[in-house]
Amino acid sequence: MLIQLPRRNTSDMWPWLGVILVSAVCLLLRDKVAWLNQLPSDLVIPVADWINIYMDWFIDTFKWIFRSINWLLSWPMNGAQALLQWLPWPATIAAFCVVAYISSGWRLSIFTGLALLYMVITGYWSPSMNTLGIVFVSIPLAVGAGFVLAVVSYKSERANRIVQPILDLMQTVPTFAYLIPILLLFGFGPVVGVVASSIYACPPMVRNMILGLQKVPADVLESGVMSGSTKRQLFWWVQVPSAMPNIMVGVNQTTMCALSMVIIAAIIGGSADIGWEVLSTMRKAQFGQSLLAGIVIALIAMILDRISRGFTDRTRAIERRHLSRIERSKPLITALGLMLAFILLSIFVPALRIYPETLIFYPADVINEGLRYVTANYAFFMNTLKNTVLFYYLLPIKIGFANVISPFSWGFSLTSAMVWGYAVVIFVCACWLYLKRSWQSSIAVVVTGGLLYFGLTAIPWLPFILIVTLLAWQTGGLRVATLAFTGLLFMLFTGIWSQAMLSVYLCLAAVMVCLLVGGSLGIWASRSQWASNFLRPINDTLQSMPLFVILIPFLMFFQIGEFTSFLAIIAYAIVPMIRYTEHGLRHVPEETVEAARSMGCSPRQMLWEVKMPLALPEIMLGLNQTVLFALAMLVITALVGSKGLGQSVYIALSSADTGLGLVAGLGMALIAIIADRIIQSWCAKRKDALGLA
Amino acid sequence: MKLKSCLTVITIAILGLTTNAQSAVPESSDPIKLAINEWTGQHISTHVAGEILKRMGYNVEYVTAGYFPQMVALEDNTISATLEIWSSNIGEHYDKALASGNVEEIGDLGLVPVESWFINNAAMEKCPGLPDYKALNGCVQAFANAETFPKGRFVDYPADWGTSNVDRLVALGLDFTSVPAGSEGALIAEIQGAEIRKEPLMVMFWSPHWVHAVVDLSNVKLPPYQKGCEDDASVGVNPNATWDCDWERGYIKKLAWSGMAEKWPAAHKLLSAYTLRNEDQIPMMNAIDQDGKKLEAVVSAWVDANEAIWKPWVDAAM
Repeated sequence: MLIQLPRRNTSDMWPWLGVILVSAVCLLLRDKVAWLNQLPSDLVIPVADWINIYMDWFIDTFKWIFRSINWLLSWPMNGAQALLQWLPWPATIAAFCVVAYISSGWRLSIFTGLALLYMVITGYWSPSMNTLGIVFVSIPLAVGAGFVLAVVSYKSERANRIVQPILDLMQTVPTFAYLIPILLLFGFGPVVGVVASSIYACPPMVRNMILGLQKVPADVLESGVMSGSTKRQLFWWVQVPSAMPNIMVGVNQTTMCALSMVIIAAIIGGSADIGWEVLSTMRKAQFGQSLLAGIVIALIAMILDRISRGFTDRTRAIERRHLSRIERSKPLITALGLMLAFILLSIFVPALRIYPETLIFYPADVINEGLRYVTANYAFFMNTLKNTVLFYYLLPIKIGFANVISPFSWGFSLTSAMVWGYAVVIFVCACWLYLKRSWQSSIAVVVTGGLLYFGLTAIPWLPFILIVTLLAWQTGGLRVATLAFTGLLFMLFTGIWSQAMLSVYLCLAAVMVCLLVGGSLGIWASRSQWASNFLRPINDTLQSMPLFVILIPFLMFFQIGEFTSFLAIIAYAIVPMIRYTEHGLRHVPEETVEAARSMGCSPRQMLWEVKMPLALPEIMLGLNQTVLFALAMLVITALVGSKGLGQSVYIALSSADTGLGLVAGLGMALIAIIADRIIQSWCAKRKDALGLA
Repeated sequence: MKLKSCLTVITIAILGLTTNAQSAVPESSDPIKLAINEWTGQHISTHVAGEILKRMGYNVEYVTAGYFPQMVALEDNTISATLEIWSSNIGEHYDKALASGNVEEIGDLGLVPVESWFINNAAMEKCPGLPDYKALNGCVQAFANAETFPKGRFVDYPADWGTSNVDRLVALGLDFTSVPAGSEGALIAEIQGAEIRKEPLMVMFWSPHWVHAVVDLSNVKLPPYQKGCEDDASVGVNPNATWDCDWERGYIKKLAWSGMAEKWPAAHKLLSAYTLRNEDQIPMMNAIDQDGKKLEAVVSAWVDANEAIWKPWVDAAM
């Protein structure tokens, strides 16, 4: 066998028993000792206030610099918007189709044409073009900033050590949290959205480019040096071209991230773009309208994604290079010719400049009717579903069996005999697992059993910090443990602990469902090509459609509250779980599969005994992404009434409280980073054990 | 697509260039930028004013702006004026803007807002004593759901709008839990969803709002507002608690960039004098959101038909 089980070692188990003991004591004393439940308010460090005071000074002193940047950036943006608005729509479509053709051929060209036609026919052309104008500024900005950061941290190890954690924060602190300081610094306008989305979008560029530069083979570098190139020549003519594939992947990822933030620009306002349409219709809870507008954003994302991905494809690039100069410029000449023709034509045919209103096809009312019908006729089914999930899944995690079991919910009340029975069952399970399986599973049962009984939000802070820190210690060693410990202390001492626990609870509940359902879908997709083809466009849409849109039907069906938020988080965060599981299972080394088959594995054994363990690191990476996505969704679900850190960010946004926003945002980032590090180091350990590293 | 064409386009007014010799209107041909926020009522209030300004000869530009972010824009004439600021929902951005000295209040809009608790028809049927608030405790079950049991469910304003209802529920001794909605869209989806499913609902809401044209909502009869009820326990029905009364009736303000009076004196006078009544705004709102008419068409029809109302403001301003 390739796989060797690690030696059974119980020395790591004793700290766990200690932690469980401390937890039990805390739980017994929590009614008597108030500070166990909540840190006394005079111990809370007013970090938020400090930030506010410092920010006020900073803004007053340096405002003028940022205001001039705003002014400078507004020129290319207004220019791009004015140009796109001025061009007759067929000319713009023609230009895009040709670019798509150059990038990857006819199929993409036709898709691009149809997608843009959709914007014309639904009457969303003008706001769509404003959005494109914004994106055309924010993408180069993010790519440029990413390029510079990558070069700096590639050249200097010390810079790299500073840049890496900042990248983590840039990706995990929700944009809403720093929207206020950016607004105050840069002044009003779509530039605020551009800057905010660039901050979020630039890390993938930095990461991919550093990776690309590091991967440049030493002999390539040497031959560059030997042919006498200067440092600058070496960088621009040798390193950058060799790193190009990775750089292009970075550009592609950055483009997608920038687009997902289009909606942020709309929250500030200042330009009538498609994000504003989505937000306004969302405010009116008009599902049809917001869906039709949301599709535009999804389509723009898909077009830019496919086109930029087409350019990253090496084989096509090489094919292109073999064409003669005339042949290569053919599509460009066609594009210019077509555009000129349409511009001239539009002088005589006004319908080509502004699409006639009478021809607009706008089926929003039909969609709304459908939603009404479902809401009216399936109310009973949806209520039952919601109550079942709440009573038997969400609420036990949140407030524990101790509080949830009542005649109203479970149909009976909790007696002390049942509590004892529960404790005995947990104990027996733990013993059995200890003897038959491993001490880890036995500890896991005890901890989970305790969590479910008392509820995540009712657990005093001390046991929680201890459990997480110990887990971090045993998976990632001292560094991860220190990070987890200080991160949790930060949340405790800045007074956001209870909100943080609400966020952790909601994400945890959603992530577990993603793990099960998404994992199963991933397995299914890895075994059937049909399933894979069926799931891919759904995944694409879920990821690029602004999530505000799906909230409306969820609200209609399930009302304001945690269940709606729970579903919304799942809808978004399940995607990476499906993708990574499928990818991991499909890319198990062929020779291993062959070997297993020749040994006579049944399909079931093949999946669970061979493929699963080997794909586990990749699957865990998917889980990692799922956790990050779930946390990112918290800000959105606060719009449908979920409490926790997401809500704090909004309260800060509306009360101009920069400090509170940043503290809450940092709290979310810390949860994400701690979870990320624990999962990553667990993955690394598994990979080591499997000999995959 | 009602808003699409009106939001960005700078429109140069040709109308209204009458032979009024002594007036130098427009004093400056720079566009007066009016803020467009996220709700239809505000679009109407703004477009009516914009239309009158255009007929006076001004350049008017409509700029989409978030409700809070617009305060920053008012400070440097990125936005020249915003016309529907609800007194109940102003927050610190508002205070900061006024404190900067670059933003000034230019009077009330004249709309009379009602912010209070509303119930739908299903609630009236299930709970015969309503709309008197004293009947609420008798039918908590009708309002309860899985997340609020054993208490009733009261859908509240989003937490970031700031609300006193948690205290109010306690002060009035009601067995209800306040569930913050998160956003206006969530409030409306909740109201519409309850109406479709015929489920009772009690919700914090306001009027004028277009949803009243779609769903029949009535006010809960709370003990009337008395001055001091929010900070003096002895005032109101409960001698031991504050907030034991209805919401105070608010008002709606207009704000402008301070430089307006100097740059466009007549426009400044007009916007200061400008008012709009509930009975003007609500029919326009229904025409747009219910009948799907175009905002510009509805507004210009109103302006055509109501010259008697706005002509005196223009005359006084010129």
